[in-house]
Amino acid sequence: MKKVKYRLYVDYEKEEQWINELAQQGWLLEKFKFFRFTFVKGEAGSYIYRNELLAGLALKDKNEYLQFLKESGIEIVSKFGGWVYFRKKASDGPFGIYTDTASKVSYFNRIIGLFTLLLVFNIIIGIVNLIISGYADSPVNSYTSFFNFAAAILIAVPTIKVYRRKKALQEQQNLFEQ
Amino acid sequence: MRQEHLPLTEGVYYILLSLYEPRHGYGIMQLTEELSKGRVQLGAGTIYGAIKTLVGRKWIVALDDDGRKKEYVITDLGKTMVEYEMKRLNELYENGLLMTKGEKLK
Repeated sequence: MKKVKYRLYVDYEKEEQWINELAQQGWLLEKFKFFRFTFVKGEAGSYIYRNELLAGLALKDKNEYLQFLKESGIEIVSKFGGWVYFRKKASDGPFGIYTDTASKVSYFNRIIGLFTLLLVFNIIIGIVNLIISGYADSPVNSYTSFFNFAAAILIAVPTIKVYRRKKALQEQQNLFEQ
Repeated sequence: MRQEHLPLTEGVYYILLSLYEPRHGYGIMQLTEELSKGRVQLGAGTIYGAIKTLVGRKWIVALDDDGRKKEYVITDLGKTMVEYEMKRLNELYENGLLMTKGEKLK
């Protein structure tokens, strides 16, 4: 039995939470593409899911990394647009990809770097389109510019969230080593 | 003791200890969990990043892989770092005893 759901999560951690809630109910993620998530019916609570942004890693590193994860007993469920979903049997115990402050912070930095680049890119293209629209007869450029600014806002939200998470972790580092 | 060697993270410390015998990533994960009685559980991403850094610093080396799982082992430099860390941990422990219980070891 299969089930398809459409969702747009601005925050990837919330999305991961949602995937895990469904897994608890016996709907196991099989595939994702854009906002389309396909689930198959399985044993409730049998798997824990984790997502990760792989974009920003060199191809050689990416393959080596995925190979390393596979050897650690982690299953690669689905990859799309620089994101990947992993899963591991819940009976194997807790499953986290990054478990200490140092590695979490460097992961957050990778996300912040990439998102900021996308954000700036959208703002610049948006401004360029806005300027062009002042001279052009057709409204195409003003529409495009609107979408660029909307995209920039959509990216800004998770960027700020991840930045706050990173700050909170670093504050904790003043007291604790992990 | 001057702070010429910075304290290691628990993860790095356990990874180095695990590699006194050749092991692959999953082996490190299992031994660390066993040694710490389940307290320290290292994620695969954390181990992968640490291994890359440790190889770069020549504290560990990759053994020739025969196409199967890649194994790593600690170098002499790595062992030196572990010994420094053990000295540091021991100092923390002894001073803890001294100040809380007025005990002095030996």
